[in-house]
Amino acid sequence: MKTIEQKGMYQKFPRSGKDTRVTHYCAGCGHGIVNKLVAECCAEMGLQDQTIFVDPVGCGVFTYYYWDAAHISAAHGRASAAATGVSRARPDAVTIAYQGDGDLGAIGFNNAFQAASRGEKFGCIFINNSLYGMTGGQMAPTTLEGEKTTTTPFGRDPALTGHPLHVCEVFNQLQAPVYIARVSVADTKRILQCKAAIKRLFEIQRDHKGYALLEILAPCPTNFRMDPLKAADFCKNEMETEFPLGTFRDVEKGVTPEAIGAQHQASAALEVKSVPHVASCAELFGVSDGVDAPPAEDDPSVPERRFKFAGYGGQGILSLGICVAEAARLEKRHTLWFPSYGPEQRGGSASCSVVVSGTPIGSPTVEHPDVLVCMNQPSYERFVGDVKKGGIVIVDASVPITKQPPEGVKLYQVPAIQMAEDFGVPKAANTMMLAALRAFKATGLDDAHLETALCASFKKKPQLVEKNRDLLHRAETALLNN
Amino acid sequence: MEEKTEGALPRPEIEEDSCKGCGRCVAACPKKCLSIQEHMNRMGIRPVGYMGTGCIGCAMCFYNCPEPYALRVVKS
Repeated sequence: MKTIEQKGMYQKFPRSGKDTRVTHYCAGCGHGIVNKLVAECCAEMGLQDQTIFVDPVGCGVFTYYYWDAAHISAAHGRASAAATGVSRARPDAVTIAYQGDGDLGAIGFNNAFQAASRGEKFGCIFINNSLYGMTGGQMAPTTLEGEKTTTTPFGRDPALTGHPLHVCEVFNQLQAPVYIARVSVADTKRILQCKAAIKRLFEIQRDHKGYALLEILAPCPTNFRMDPLKAADFCKNEMETEFPLGTFRDVEKGVTPEAIGAQHQASAALEVKSVPHVASCAELFGVSDGVDAPPAEDDPSVPERRFKFAGYGGQGILSLGICVAEAARLEKRHTLWFPSYGPEQRGGSASCSVVVSGTPIGSPTVEHPDVLVCMNQPSYERFVGDVKKGGIVIVDASVPITKQPPEGVKLYQVPAIQMAEDFGVPKAANTMMLAALRAFKATGLDDAHLETALCASFKKKPQLVEKNRDLLHRAETALLNN
Repeated sequence: MEEKTEGALPRPEIEEDSCKGCGRCVAACPKKCLSIQEHMNRMGIRPVGYMGTGCIGCAMCFYNCPEPYALRVVKS
């Protein structure tokens, strides 16, 4: 049987549980596509036993769980420095540094640049997604002019934060590198070009020719705040305008900076277009200013109530927890909200704990919740056994009940995901769960406060406030009628 | 559907629990024979599925897929 399937990767990725082999990347992530190509090229060229990968800090950090070859993990930005050491200590090996744009373009720029200048014998794969991914989508040196990130919420303003850094063009000023190219993984044609370029990079390293840099434009759907297809389009239409694709240098093949001409030089004239807009913290994060939320008051008659919300990242689990905590704040209760999630921003397991009490709270962690809300199967299986006697479990109806809750615990199956879809707002499954919490009187908090908290959570998107309020009421009515 | 197409080659094979439902393969398929399914996988994500006919074995879906083991293409 002839199949086209993944080569060069481990069969199981132990970080994500013993039975899965799913990466930690978000849906539609460019890293995933590049990871597959790198592993495939390495395997196809028979270099797995010779290759030493130097892994970065950032979203690309876990490649050592995936690629079946030798690995060394470097400190943030130091992959090129570590790769220098590796390639000098093991001149027979194929050394490949894998870095992102926060890693290589910002904190580690000098490490990478000087290694290139010295012509160290390793290949550097540089993933450019125009922002810091893992830390939450902050501006990176490669962020496009006008691009909105969490630290440039009004768009990157060159007057305030400078112009995008063209890494390939800058490195192309150096004497030593033998190969510099920029490719993309936005569509099939580009992915196949990218594979050819990765192969070339491995070839150069296999033959120990010198320093090679391969920049790969990659979509980051999560932090672009787009769906995977729109993110790929952004990569193709916007990023490529700023960062043109092409082979800047391939000395063996006669491609040199002189031959390419001046059109790829770093952008020249600095143009000040506007006066920078400096935002306040309250404006940026939509935090309350202390007026609408009174300080907590002690009331020993109110017992401590512990909540756990769990599902996968992107289902609005953490926001649901914030809603309940905010409602408790409005009720002048002591409250703590404590999130727990992996490095992935979407798709990984996410949970949060909320404690509400009439007296000061000792610890924000919740081992035995009174109320457990689960939106998917793994989280249900993990937490259902921990619920206290007399407690409540609310679980999405799509989850098969493979495990019964402990005795004395009430189980409600709520079709939250289905209801949200039926209402035409698939993202509002967490609002459906809030409706369930209200309908089953699970929080011990005032209904009006929960509603105010829900509205407050959409402070930054005022157009969604009324919609979610309406959904909350409709869902509650539907639940109470059933 | 699955039984009927068991032997038909070429065909994509999908490991539903590894699929994150991003839709890159659906957009990349030149024959438009992949689609996001109605049911959910273990994680609560709607995975991609093969419609049963139309695959030409080009493996564009495989190369566009960011997950190593979500999709493979059986050619012969």
